[in-house]
Amino acid sequence: MQQQPLINCTINGVALQVKAGTTIIEAMYENSQKIAHYCWHPGLSIAGVCRLCMVEIEGNPRLQIACNTVVTEGMKVNNTSEKVKDAAKWGLDFHLINHPLDCPICDQAGECGLQEQYMEFGKYNSEMAEKKQKKHKVVDLGPTVVLDSERCILCSRCVRFTDEVSKTHELGIFNRGDHAEIGTHAGKPLDNKYSLNTVDICPVGALTSKDFRFRQRVWFLKDQETVCNGCSTGCNVKVYFNKEGVFRVKPKRNDAINGHWMCDEGRDIYKFVNKEHRMIKGHKLANGVWNTELHAGAAAKDAALSLQGVTGNDIALVVTGQHTVEELEAIVSTFVNTYKTKNVYHWWNSEATASEFDGILLRGDKNPNTKGLQQVFAKHGITTKFSDLDPSKVKHLVVVGPENVPVYKDFTAKLEFFAKASNLIYMTAAKVDSLVANKNLAVGGKTATIIPLKTFVEKAGTFVNHAGVSQTFKKVTTVVSEALTLVEAAALLAGQEIKVETLNPKNLLVAANERADKVTLDFRKKNEFIFQRGKL
Amino acid sequence: MSEVKYLTEFYHLPEFKGIEGYKKNGGYVELGKALKMQPQEIIDVVKASGLRGRGGAGFPTGMKWGFLPKNGEERYLLCNADEGEPGTFKDRMMMERAPHQLIEGMIISGFAIGSKKSYIYVRGEYDESINSLLAAIQEAYKAGYLGKNILGSGFDHDMDVYRGAGAYICGEETGMISSLEGLKGQPKLKPPFPAVQGYLKKPTIVNNVETLAAVKYIIRDGAEGYRKYGTEKSAGSKLFSLSGNVNKPGNYEVPLGYPLKDMINVLGGGIKNGKKLKAVIPGGSSAPVLTAEEAMKATLDYENLAAAGTMLGSGAIIVIDDSKCMVECLANLTHFYHHESCGQCTPCREGTGWVDKIVHSILSGKGRLQDIELLVKVADNMKGRTICALSDAAALPIISFVTKFRDEFEYFVKEGKSKVKGTAYKGHAYAATASH
Repeated sequence: MQQQPLINCTINGVALQVKAGTTIIEAMYENSQKIAHYCWHPGLSIAGVCRLCMVEIEGNPRLQIACNTVVTEGMKVNNTSEKVKDAAKWGLDFHLINHPLDCPICDQAGECGLQEQYMEFGKYNSEMAEKKQKKHKVVDLGPTVVLDSERCILCSRCVRFTDEVSKTHELGIFNRGDHAEIGTHAGKPLDNKYSLNTVDICPVGALTSKDFRFRQRVWFLKDQETVCNGCSTGCNVKVYFNKEGVFRVKPKRNDAINGHWMCDEGRDIYKFVNKEHRMIKGHKLANGVWNTELHAGAAAKDAALSLQGVTGNDIALVVTGQHTVEELEAIVSTFVNTYKTKNVYHWWNSEATASEFDGILLRGDKNPNTKGLQQVFAKHGITTKFSDLDPSKVKHLVVVGPENVPVYKDFTAKLEFFAKASNLIYMTAAKVDSLVANKNLAVGGKTATIIPLKTFVEKAGTFVNHAGVSQTFKKVTTVVSEALTLVEAAALLAGQEIKVETLNPKNLLVAANERADKVTLDFRKKNEFIFQRGKL
Repeated sequence: MSEVKYLTEFYHLPEFKGIEGYKKNGGYVELGKALKMQPQEIIDVVKASGLRGRGGAGFPTGMKWGFLPKNGEERYLLCNADEGEPGTFKDRMMMERAPHQLIEGMIISGFAIGSKKSYIYVRGEYDESINSLLAAIQEAYKAGYLGKNILGSGFDHDMDVYRGAGAYICGEETGMISSLEGLKGQPKLKPPFPAVQGYLKKPTIVNNVETLAAVKYIIRDGAEGYRKYGTEKSAGSKLFSLSGNVNKPGNYEVPLGYPLKDMINVLGGGIKNGKKLKAVIPGGSSAPVLTAEEAMKATLDYENLAAAGTMLGSGAIIVIDDSKCMVECLANLTHFYHHESCGQCTPCREGTGWVDKIVHSILSGKGRLQDIELLVKVADNMKGRTICALSDAAALPIISFVTKFRDEFEYFVKEGKSKVKGTAYKGHAYAATASH
């Protein structure tokens, strides 16, 4: 391919070289120069309606919008002159005259485009003395999103998203002039697998997520990038959390993997990370009685003791593609080296649907690291078939269960199947009450141990996605400090001593259903509508 | 100079509406002539004639046609008959009295630009025009002027009428294209311009009724012949719609460069009821207003009106006598633009509503002195900040009304009543926030 010549331009005094066809706003965005904008979004078509991205181009008496002006050779652009600042101030004021300014009760406060631009260009008293337009409030657009039309600045990002990305065309702008409002057509609510992206791209608090609204002020949240473990696409995401847990997941731009978007399913992954859905304590079954107050490390050590001297066909390991490459390598090599067995099985819930793809992001394989697991298996020469596993013949069965349980449709049936083993060691991040109540375990003097594990947000590691792209991510936060990573559990099972990380020993004392500040979860639930989507 | 009968020569004949009467009076002669020319020749002669768009913007027609890509790509010719500019009613008369004149002009133009399909987008309220056009198109198909192989030339052209639904914004060419495509009537972001990417993303030319009708006469008389009327930069004759406080309102065809004074006093028969002239809006409601003094000096052509700080626009002359309150007149305009803003671009969507509310608050006696300055400031910042010209059209009258008749605005704010009428506002209690 012929190399396209680069175009020279100067933006705010900085000489830049950009590809032919680049718009001014793209040039500024890519070179980290600040420019106010609402309607422009790098992942959507150009609307040119907010009129905030005004720039002054040398030789042109009229200000131009940066989003629809292509850079030409020798172009000199600035957006710092008084003329531009005044235009931006007025552009902002036009956005604000009918805006309700209900920041104190608005979920977007703290990450709102209007607030940000006001601090940049505004800081004035409004001259608007007339009555504001009245529009619809609390409009239920669909199962996931609520609209406040008065806050809406009609940038049309959400409409363009449903037209261009999800291609579901649910949203439109109805009426005209200052009566215009976003809305859905009768009988066609905003209900698609990517609907919450509209909330992300909404620059103001007009579209809010039913799942997140009223749960946290955003300034009480920190964020950290990681990789979604919802399916084999491996979208890059930002997880928002504080010491109470994880509250939401948003996409992070990665053009090679997920662009600007992520699916609604992926946004639910934080739910099984939080304490109320987690295995907090180690469990041990002996003589038909469960001890449910074991420390995770103690449970792992007990399990290691029960496996002492066991080798070969008396023991088997079951793993899923829900753990990192590093963890899988640790546990598999423990079995191959310490227990001298290659009875390692791949529990793959979605093998049949693994090749499915919706054309946007969602894939049929609901495990983030199936490829990574296959690589570890190949390295150790493991060629078993899951269908060959018979727990009743294997005396000691170690299962590393999935943390995203909802995508394992036959989960309970599989647990009963595993419970046929006379000594079951089940490692899990997710709470599995059904295992404790399992009738197969209660008979015949069986023993069982449950070891709590950490979730993907609580550890660093690597996932290999469907295309073989290896993505390494950092630890986000710690939710259950006592739980072990699979690397730690593997070391304990191998009889090694480890130092278990306890960030805040006080946290260990907090019961599972209580927050650190002693507000019980039951009380919290009344004030939130997190547990059932689609109901306000 | 006096009134001319160039385009309107046979408008007094009822038979001119039908194809027989039209042909008897020179109809479809130029079509035969044009089809024997090279398309580029027609474009060149239209360029040389100096014909400028009669819809409002006054863009040179030949130059517009020249923007089309020079390839065989499918393209469209659209006739803008969505005559929405307040005060304008010339296209309506042309379509009602001489539909074949427009059709012939369109076939010639279609041939020149290589378009095989054209649409006439007619304002929804124009029942009579739509019926007249539909009947005429049928006649033209029967007579072989439309359809396949027109007059044995090998040129095919189909024509259709599309009925608008009454939105002012659909008279903006890209708004019209959106509407024609079945979308919400909202202007499209430019570039790309319609000549490159218009209707159905194909190159498209949009011209006004009067512009397209004039093409026939340019073919008949040649570029020089067409330039018999008008000035160097404003060639030809033009239809003006005269309305307001004059004795004889109506459509008048005059050569461009005709004095506005004569339009009002001679053709219009002077101001009604012996009142005095106060102001004139010379080019449709979007054109800045002229004071009586300015109006007496102005001539009706593009360059002179531009020099006077206003524009020829669509040629709608609205005459205002000295018994009218300028605050009320402006309220009428701000209400119109508030109602008609499509709501796409923020400065227009919010600005038209804001100024409308300010003007009505002055009318209701609640105005503040700083509101007068604020009106100008808001209007200034609505200007040139949007996709289409509606925002400018809303802003320009405000600036001109407030600066030229500031005393009336100040009086209204201070006294709570009209300086001219001496009374408070008696209009309906229009609340700008109420749903229209």
